[in-house]
Amino acid sequence: MERLTALLQTLLDTVTALLAEYPMAGEWYMAFVRFLFPVLAILILYRAVRSLLKIPHTPETWGQLSLPNGAPILLTHWENIIGRSKTADVYLNYPSISRQHAALCRGKDENWTIYDLGSKGGTLVNGEKVEDSAPVKLGDTIMLGGVPLVFLPQTVAEREAMEEKRRAERPATIWPSFLWLTLFQVLACLQLIVAAGTEAPVMIPLAFFGLTIVMWLYFAILRTTHCVGFEMETIAFFLSTLSLAVTASSAPGSLFKQFVAILLGLVLFLVLGLFLRDLGRVQKNRWLMAAAAIALLGITLVIGKSKYGAVNWISIGPLSFQPSEIAKICYIFAGSATLERLFHKRNLTLFILLTGVCIGCLGLMSDFGTAAIFFVTFLVIAYMRSGDFATLSLICGGAVFGAGIIVKFKPYILSRFASWGHAWEAASTTGYQQTRTMSAAASGGLLGMGAGNGWLHSVPAADTDLVFGMLCEEWGLLIAFLAVGSIITLAFFAARACRVGRSSFYTIAACAAGSLLVFQTCLNVFGSVDLLPLTGVTFPFVSNGGSAMMSAWGLLAFLKATDTRENASFAIQRGPQRRLTEAARRRAEMVEDPFGTEEEADDEED
Amino acid sequence: MKKIERRAVVCSILALLLTIGMGIFLFRYLTDGGSWASSAFNRHLYHTDGVLASGTVLDRDGDVLSTVENGKRTYYDNETVRKATLHAVGDLQGNIGTGALNAFADKLTGYSLLNGAFGADRGSDLYLTIDARYNYEAYQALNGHAGTVAVYNYKTGEILCMVSAPSYDPLHVPSDIESNDRYKGTYLNRFLSSTFTPGSVYKTVTLAAALEELSDLENRTWTCQGSVQIGDETIVCSGTHGEQHIGDAFANSCNVAFAQIAEELGAETLKTYTEKAGLTDSYDINGLPTAKGSFSWENITDGQLGWAGVGQYKDQVNPCALMVYMGAIAGGGKAAQPYLIEKTVSALGIPSIPHITRKTGMLVSTATAEKLSDMMADNVEKTYGRDRFPNMDICAKSGTAEVGEEQRPHAWFAGFLRNEDAPYAFVVLVENGGGGSSVAGTVAGRVLDTIVNGY
Repeated sequence: MERLTALLQTLLDTVTALLAEYPMAGEWYMAFVRFLFPVLAILILYRAVRSLLKIPHTPETWGQLSLPNGAPILLTHWENIIGRSKTADVYLNYPSISRQHAALCRGKDENWTIYDLGSKGGTLVNGEKVEDSAPVKLGDTIMLGGVPLVFLPQTVAEREAMEEKRRAERPATIWPSFLWLTLFQVLACLQLIVAAGTEAPVMIPLAFFGLTIVMWLYFAILRTTHCVGFEMETIAFFLSTLSLAVTASSAPGSLFKQFVAILLGLVLFLVLGLFLRDLGRVQKNRWLMAAAAIALLGITLVIGKSKYGAVNWISIGPLSFQPSEIAKICYIFAGSATLERLFHKRNLTLFILLTGVCIGCLGLMSDFGTAAIFFVTFLVIAYMRSGDFATLSLICGGAVFGAGIIVKFKPYILSRFASWGHAWEAASTTGYQQTRTMSAAASGGLLGMGAGNGWLHSVPAADTDLVFGMLCEEWGLLIAFLAVGSIITLAFFAARACRVGRSSFYTIAACAAGSLLVFQTCLNVFGSVDLLPLTGVTFPFVSNGGSAMMSAWGLLAFLKATDTRENASFAIQRGPQRRLTEAARRRAEMVEDPFGTEEEADDEED
Repeated sequence: MKKIERRAVVCSILALLLTIGMGIFLFRYLTDGGSWASSAFNRHLYHTDGVLASGTVLDRDGDVLSTVENGKRTYYDNETVRKATLHAVGDLQGNIGTGALNAFADKLTGYSLLNGAFGADRGSDLYLTIDARYNYEAYQALNGHAGTVAVYNYKTGEILCMVSAPSYDPLHVPSDIESNDRYKGTYLNRFLSSTFTPGSVYKTVTLAAALEELSDLENRTWTCQGSVQIGDETIVCSGTHGEQHIGDAFANSCNVAFAQIAEELGAETLKTYTEKAGLTDSYDINGLPTAKGSFSWENITDGQLGWAGVGQYKDQVNPCALMVYMGAIAGGGKAAQPYLIEKTVSALGIPSIPHITRKTGMLVSTATAEKLSDMMADNVEKTYGRDRFPNMDICAKSGTAEVGEEQRPHAWFAGFLRNEDAPYAFVVLVENGGGGSSVAGTVAGRVLDTIVNGY
């Protein structure tokens, strides 16, 4: 292996030596490609962003309730609230029905359960009163406050019509974006080699080449399983490419580590995505995840090392690791909940407890940026779970009060943020990093100085906390804004996708992950340009850092798990829908040919 | 589910906040980006010691005044030229804010907000309108005095000569620059950024007002017995001029006559003509603002008005504004706005868009300007001596501005040439130099001789 890289290095050295003889060739190349990069970036992102933001999607249907007058109401989620309230999923405007009367939920093994939500009129299944919950089968009659509903499957015609509609809305083909991204990677790699000159390490072309291969492999493998949605992956791969470029410019020695981090991140993304497919499995492991979040943060607190003021690193041999990044994934996993669970435990006590422990640990580590991220994520999850503004305002007030007390007893904490808003007045002390970021960013102009041609990377934490400045300086304002725009797109998609989400678990987790990514980007970008205090958090996908990269990819799995468009996501089970259609077809055949042989359901894939 | 869907709006709100924040950042980037980039620690534009990393400053003939050689910024070889052009070119430490190296750093490096600092390492050539030779002569003529000399073409606006003293060698900054009185205010370009008591040169404004407001002016006479009592002030004259017409009074620079005229005109009228003359305005010279002159007309007594009318009292005038006023008298009421950058040529050899000459407003009416011109020509004929200005159809006014009991007066000499091929207006100020005509007039004569008659 070492001999191979040594050989490749000599090969690269010959090329760079040749380049050094014709310096104008490099100059012309840089002058030309800086115009090309933003164009390519737009070509890469345009398809992905447009496809992610396109609405509305025809939702999946899981069955229907037939009203007394014969009109059917489709069940488009695994968890449906039935009631007189406008926000009910099955809206029934009868005076005898309560605002939130009952919930019809699809459990494991495709069994449905009806829950009475403390209704006045009562709930009956096939004439029997439902005390708390009762199983429901197709064909059963459900009586809500005297209104009879029949729980029915859809007919073949209805299902086929729906499937046709959904197929027409399939995600756009994405391979052109991948092609453009490959070109982008090749040009960026060349640009970095030209900028580094004769000292260019062979890791630059190897890492970029590796990323290209991984990207196409991922595409090819997923394509064989008939997955067609690659928008989020396009965005993630694009940002990861920028990350490699930033790393190559600031710390070429870390390139291999960063490439491995992308690879591990992709693996985590796949594993977590596949794990999320089964809601039952997910629910069983929520406790485990809560424990993992606490354990990760606790261990860091005990054996953590300090870097740039925050004690959030664990070093095992040559590897150093930031467990709080992975704790984010565990925290969202543990915090999200199905509707079923929300009926049982209305209050947030345990979740607040988990949050308290997590934020407490982070506070003790002096990692206030991550603590703020956890707090915002908590607010998003808590609001989505309870919708209770009053309690959350109270909690916010409490948090502000608590922060006030901490600052009163430990005023030195504030001194870290003292120059906020006045960075230029403290340009050589506490405003050092921010002023350098702004100056470098303004030097880049719209198109940037060219990758590898910046000076900001010599400022501490330039490729992590100040990475937005590096993007502006080396890649230009256009690409820096496109990178931020990508994150914004992900958050908007998460909010949009709720409409057709299967379970509230996925919806809450996706929104929490989207919000987390956006808030983290806010802290990173605005912290580095003095619009917010500089807290030292990373830019998702872009910052140099293994744990941060893995965490970003892991969070993306939550978004992937809420993408219910036809064949769009590997994190969505396609079996249940197919089986519904098959069952409907079977029933139709039985009617046509009562003596025909029944075909076995094909369960090749779940 | 629908309920939770609605609550998902928090995620969109956060995304929206990020979008708004990016908008705020973009706004600040567009408004302040230039000053962010021109921080001395920006390695794209400045060396580690804060010196501009690229760009060449040249004079109108292409003499290199400052450039970068082997990564080090250098200046013109001759020490006197370095001193004479210091305020136009700028210093290495960034103390002289109006110097090209500081004020025109963006043009020198080719930096722009849209293109960034790309190619800044190669730098551009910035041609100033000044001629190093004229600056050299002017600096020599000042002979160590503090003051300023400037000449400009009132038809095109090019500033041909701009010297401010005291000056120093930017390559060997004197160690006592902060403490020694010799270098007091050395970082200031007096031509652009200072104001001074004008003394008798201000009589050009008083006379312009009188020519328009007093209809029988040219038939009247004034008697000067060396001084006159107005209110509780005694206006002292430089001599005893006896009975004189307005032309003689102007040529004699008779304080007695002009104080009485000022009293007759009144503060309001003088204020109007002063403002019309542009003496209280700021000019924009390639983005460099000139200092505004200041006058005090409110609650003024007759005696004080008399002093104000002869350029004393609280009158303060900026040399550049005075020079432009001289240009306007020469140009029949309007003059070209002065400018300093002839052109820039980028590293790829692409020149900038040529300068478009802009005119000032009417600083004085055309008829008055003609009369004033003739009377200023008469001044030279009668008082200063035409022989001192060979081959020049020169119109001028001297000034000897009293600046305090203990100090010698400031010497002024301002005016213009009516030569078709040499349409130049000029201003000379020698701080505590003494007599206007004798001291400042000599400096003006020497510089103009070089410009008009060559070496």
